[in-house]
Amino acid sequence: MSDVLSASYVLVVAEVRRGLFEERNLDTIGLGRLLGSPVYLLLPDNASGVDASIVDKVIRVGADEGNFQNPLTMVSILTKVFETRGQPDFILFTHSSSGAECAAYAAGHFSLPVITDVSGFDRPTGTFSKSYYSDKVFAQFKSASSPSILTVRSGSFRDQVTRNQATADTESLGAFTAQGGRTFLDYVEEAGGAVDITKADFLLSVGRGIGSKDEIPRYEELAQTMKAVLSCSRPVVDKLWLPKERQVGTSGKTVKPKVYLAMAISGAFQHIAGMKDADCIIAINKDPEAPIFQYAHFGIVADVNKLRDKLIETAKAS
Amino acid sequence: MEIVVFTKRVPVTQEEELRILGDGQSVDLSKLPHRMNDWDNYAVEEAVKLIEKGGGGVTSVAIGDSESDEVLRRAIAMGARDGFLLEANEVLQDPFARATLTYNFLKKENMPFDAIFTGVQAEDEQFACFGGILAALLKIPYAAQVIGIDAVEKDHFVVRRELEGGLQERVKVSLPCLLSIQSGINEPRYVSIMGVRKASKVERKVFKASNYTDSGKSLVEITKWVYPPKKEGAAMLAGDVGEICSKLFAILKEKGVYQ
Repeated sequence: MSDVLSASYVLVVAEVRRGLFEERNLDTIGLGRLLGSPVYLLLPDNASGVDASIVDKVIRVGADEGNFQNPLTMVSILTKVFETRGQPDFILFTHSSSGAECAAYAAGHFSLPVITDVSGFDRPTGTFSKSYYSDKVFAQFKSASSPSILTVRSGSFRDQVTRNQATADTESLGAFTAQGGRTFLDYVEEAGGAVDITKADFLLSVGRGIGSKDEIPRYEELAQTMKAVLSCSRPVVDKLWLPKERQVGTSGKTVKPKVYLAMAISGAFQHIAGMKDADCIIAINKDPEAPIFQYAHFGIVADVNKLRDKLIETAKAS
Repeated sequence: MEIVVFTKRVPVTQEEELRILGDGQSVDLSKLPHRMNDWDNYAVEEAVKLIEKGGGGVTSVAIGDSESDEVLRRAIAMGARDGFLLEANEVLQDPFARATLTYNFLKKENMPFDAIFTGVQAEDEQFACFGGILAALLKIPYAAQVIGIDAVEKDHFVVRRELEGGLQERVKVSLPCLLSIQSGINEPRYVSIMGVRKASKVERKVFKASNYTDSGKSLVEITKWVYPPKKEGAAMLAGDVGEICSKLFAILKEKGVYQ
């Protein structure tokens, strides 16, 4: 076997949106650092804002982001990387819409092991932790063969990023055109609404645990009484109880209010990612094991709707 | 148009304390209620909407033990024509093994399809990659997190994929293809108990998973189950409802958001 086939490195596939290098790439690079081998960053050609001192090599691909973040193109790109640089030990993607999409397709195409939403690595056992049941328990996974494909949870490994003294060399991989089966057309922005929850100092946020749409008016009343702005978690929008503009989380808005009062929100990771930087998080939930209590500063275990009624009553009386 | 929709029966864990058994060997799910994976409701609804408009049929497929027949009945009550159970008594934690089993099944049974739908992920394992692996094995195009199907043509769909922060991308996908359907794409129809009872009169076919597992080996395995890493956690406010209210208002005043 030639040298190129016995190469040892970690391949990090960058995520780029509208030219910008997404911040969650720091988590894939951070995990790459923990895994020990040199970290090679695979990048579409329209990416900007990349600090090339945090990786050991940059491989620029002749494809723009819409084509690069397309699972059908990605397997051609990876094939070329394997042919020219050998197979890496790990291939890391962000755990995002496009990262998980490309990771799964690549796993099927190359018959490689895949573990998604990785948030922990245990060096002695070589296992990766992955959330089950919305973070209620975690499974430690071991991969039976190499290379393994992993998608990395945002916020999990960015403190592992280190800087080299020199900027990494950039190599070019050549051009890739769109594959027949799937083509990128354009981006669509969701229409903005009348309310901008990112501007509020005090958010009262409700989750599916409030029970039904019929409860919403009473929460609107509570928000009004306390001079808070009403926001919510994803299931509330999916069920059409509140409009999309009110949604906090990865697929909605990222908020940093002074106070985030979460009522009946269990705290799925995608929700936490959108509100964890609030100055003060207060969580009210019926379930004492709800993951949100791990992130909140203050917690109350209670029947949420009953407590709501009492809060309205108290606020009106004062 | 023929659409195959994968549906899964999952435990309802939202308000349950999960117990890990032994030295991390398994999670006790024995006392939990089960239901159809929430994302699969949206996938079935989207498929049924398409065939109601353009003709064809929806086949719902579930992988799991015999209890999973429940989600097939539900899918039929929502408008699926038939339901196939790929009966496996062992849970395959490796998505690659599940996808390979499914691939073998679709090939061996010669299942016709123009499109395959799955939910974005299953509520229990949340891998979000069964569909992507299966699409690659079938050598058909794949689009994940589909939040809108804008055009249905003879040989392609135009779909909107949900990205992050309110952004979507429009992509053109040739048929046959595999789409993972995001929650919120539609409003899944209400299914009455009567509807499910009526659906149980429609024959569901059962296939033994063991007939399709020749190459369904696991590439990843769980070595241990663990509880989430404990962070500092919240300071819990206790007392009767009146006391809790006063404590809460005191915090809001201190933070300067309530007078």
